[in-house]
Amino acid sequence: MKSIFTFSLLLLACIGFAQTEIKGKVTDQKGEPIPGANIFIEGAYDGTSSQDDGSFAFSTAETGKQTLVISFLSFETIKMEIDVATYQPQTIKMRESVNVLDAVIVNAGTFEAGDKARVSVLKPLDIVTTAGSAGDIVAALQTLPGTQTVGEDGRLFVRGGEADETQTFVDGIRVAQPYGSTTNNLPTRGRFSPFLFSGISFSTGGYSAEYGEALSSVLLLNTQDDPDQNKTDIALMTVGLGLGHTKKWEKSSISVNASYIDLAPYQWAIPQNVSWNRPFQQLSGEAVYRKHFEYGLLKVYVAFDSSRFDVNQESINTPTATRVDLRNDNLYFNASYKGDLGRTWQLTAGLGYGLGKNNIGLDLDDVKNTENAVHMKLKLSKRFSDRIKLNVGGDYFITDFDESYQFFQGEKLNAGYTAGIAAAYSEADVYFSKKLAMKIGARAAYNDLLHESVLSPRASLAYKLGKKAGQVSFAYGDFQQSPKADYLKYSDFHRFDNEKATHYILNYQYTRERQTLRAEAYYKDYRNLVKYDDDVPQFDSNYSNNGSGYAKGIDLFWRDGRTFRNLEYWISYSYIDSKRDYRNFPIEATPNFVANQGLSVVTKYWIEDWKSQVSLTHSMATGRPFDNPNKPGFLQDKTRAYNNLSVSWAYLLTQQKILYFSVSNVLGTQNVYNYEYANTPSANGVFQRREITPTADRFFFVGFFWTISADKKSNQLKNL
Amino acid sequence: MKTITTIALFICTLTFGQSKYEQGMTKAFELWGQGKDTEASAMFERIAAAEQNQWLPNYYVAFVNTISSFSTKDRATVSALLDKAQKALDVEMIKNPENSEILVMQAMIYTGWVAFDPMTNGMKYSGQVMELYDKAQKLDPNNPRAVFGKAEYEMGGAKYFGTDTAPICAEIKRSLELFAKFKPETPFHPKWGQDRAEAAAKECEKK
Repeated sequence: MKSIFTFSLLLLACIGFAQTEIKGKVTDQKGEPIPGANIFIEGAYDGTSSQDDGSFAFSTAETGKQTLVISFLSFETIKMEIDVATYQPQTIKMRESVNVLDAVIVNAGTFEAGDKARVSVLKPLDIVTTAGSAGDIVAALQTLPGTQTVGEDGRLFVRGGEADETQTFVDGIRVAQPYGSTTNNLPTRGRFSPFLFSGISFSTGGYSAEYGEALSSVLLLNTQDDPDQNKTDIALMTVGLGLGHTKKWEKSSISVNASYIDLAPYQWAIPQNVSWNRPFQQLSGEAVYRKHFEYGLLKVYVAFDSSRFDVNQESINTPTATRVDLRNDNLYFNASYKGDLGRTWQLTAGLGYGLGKNNIGLDLDDVKNTENAVHMKLKLSKRFSDRIKLNVGGDYFITDFDESYQFFQGEKLNAGYTAGIAAAYSEADVYFSKKLAMKIGARAAYNDLLHESVLSPRASLAYKLGKKAGQVSFAYGDFQQSPKADYLKYSDFHRFDNEKATHYILNYQYTRERQTLRAEAYYKDYRNLVKYDDDVPQFDSNYSNNGSGYAKGIDLFWRDGRTFRNLEYWISYSYIDSKRDYRNFPIEATPNFVANQGLSVVTKYWIEDWKSQVSLTHSMATGRPFDNPNKPGFLQDKTRAYNNLSVSWAYLLTQQKILYFSVSNVLGTQNVYNYEYANTPSANGVFQRREITPTADRFFFVGFFWTISADKKSNQLKNL
Repeated sequence: MKTITTIALFICTLTFGQSKYEQGMTKAFELWGQGKDTEASAMFERIAAAEQNQWLPNYYVAFVNTISSFSTKDRATVSALLDKAQKALDVEMIKNPENSEILVMQAMIYTGWVAFDPMTNGMKYSGQVMELYDKAQKLDPNNPRAVFGKAEYEMGGAKYFGTDTAPICAEIKRSLELFAKFKPETPFHPKWGQDRAEAAAKECEKK
């Protein structure tokens, strides 16, 4: 007996002296048990997993103050100090992590495309495999709801706003001249090749206080943090050629690409509706350099392009065409650094500089303008927890614009302005739970040219309805923008005020694997829009900031890649009702660029046997208003509906060689954007008119794209 | 009496002569073998918290979670599993950036993301996966998992495009030779992959 006692005692002794039992139960916020949670004493082996009813029990030999850790997938890890001796069984409530795929996202107004987005509406590839986009980021975005197709302009028109109401940012730094220069009724395109960007976020309203000087929309482009590998890209196209190369080192990398575009051979082969003396010709290049430091990443982006064309522009009001000879040189430089300062602080600093030079010959007159634009930015983010993040930051914009108009053998008129805008903002992201989140902030800015200070509050709220039921969000914001250069250059004669807009957005979004449904209703109120009293703004026009307007509408978006095998498609529908009293409008009216309804259907079908992706894009829009002087009223008539079906076909010769064909407006629909009327009526009292149409009914494109890389896998499908 | 004391002490030594670490690892592998992934991951996680100088516990947290992500359907869970795997591996990657096995595990996690959303992640990670395997091979030319992992990843694309699979099959064969020679440093060191390589080699011979 005694021996058995000794035996047990000795055994006990080697197991441990004072074993304490740690007991309890793990539940979620609602008190539902969590099985499988990991409960343990940090640094010791003692611990267990919770049972089906959430209960747990384990014994420990540790004594004194210890840290009890409770962790479980998709829940926030809890670390609590306990004293082993006095520990009492308890119920531990865990909170669901907000950094999970199915958490609510504050996203009213925004379309995300790219790697980092938790819910991507567009994938990086889409920008370019969308038929009709011809590799133009902007053209691909025009298949999203809330945008207007303004074919004679080519820029982004968002929700009843003019094109300059959208601001473009690269790595958070403003791009003052995002589009190529052009003249009346010849469409431009975005300067940026999709080649170097890995993330795109397009906001059609209600955006963050981080961004200012935009009344309608912001387009955020982010360059890649890390290129995947060393590679060389070669492109041979009917319109020119392109060359790209990426080189990677241990901590840094560089990507460069250059392209030469010349439309002369093409336009010689295919007749145009435009009389060219020298068709469009462009040399451009971009480079990104990235360097990783121990705690941060530096990116330097440089882009230049030089383009020219020479065209005879017809007008119904002049017997002979006006010769427009345009040369544009553009340089853009941007450096940004993003790094960690300790565990919870993050710093972003950036500097951007844009130089845009135009030299335009108008018959014998000569117009020259130069814009120098600088943006400096500093932003600090503090993460208090997974749930609360605070951003504070400041911006300084300098814009210097000079223009001279030299009349042939006559006088020279000069105009221009220099403006500095200092801005500061603060914004908090708060997750109350996995279901409810908020973003709230404000931006203050002072413009030293307008001598005006403004304060713009912004707020958005998102609520997840249920695990499978989607989410609703609401956004509100005040937005300011200084008037465009066309007016500001006469600042010596008139002091302008900022133009203002207020957005209200209600959004519903439902996502599941490879399916997204979005519905958004909005109301936008415009105030302080610039008005003038001449046909075109001039230095001696009577200006005021008494204009106003509104836009309201509904945007619908449906994307599906799951119903049909190998088929991805999306459908965008926009309804808008917008009127403005601005510029030289005699009354409030719907501007010419607004079509009340628009529909785009984009399909991409992968044909396995042919190793081909066939893409169709069909865009339709109701007629756009135009002013018909033969009828009473203003902007009272409408053009016929717009219709464009584009097709593209990418054929993978091998994994790295692609042959690409595309045709826009296959059906050859005769689209009319607008009419130009004679200033004076003809003998029989009728004002004659001329149609404003696309420069050609169809556009054909053939290209060969070849990627050379070690993995023999990557290709340029994403750049097409 | 003496005998009893001796027996008791002997039992003690038997049970506890194995270090706590070895016991814990053995237990975790047992749980994993029984299909109790969550418990196994929890056990590895506890060991990792106690043994800051061992890279294996976190390596297995990453491994268990990545492997279970492959057989999970719910997308939110898949992404949470891969996030967990990544977090655990990050801890060791900083300490041992030149560890061939850790690089192979990183390639596995990326492969998990590619499977999660091929359209978005295929382009993004394919190059990196290849690069990781290359680096892993360079650091340890005898690591069969680095050789086989790369070959397996390449196989998908090659089959699709009808490219010649012979060089890839040769690599799979080479990995089998390496598997045969491979001796893990301890019973807990990575030694997985041979069965899959054998299956792949059989596929090769079919044609």
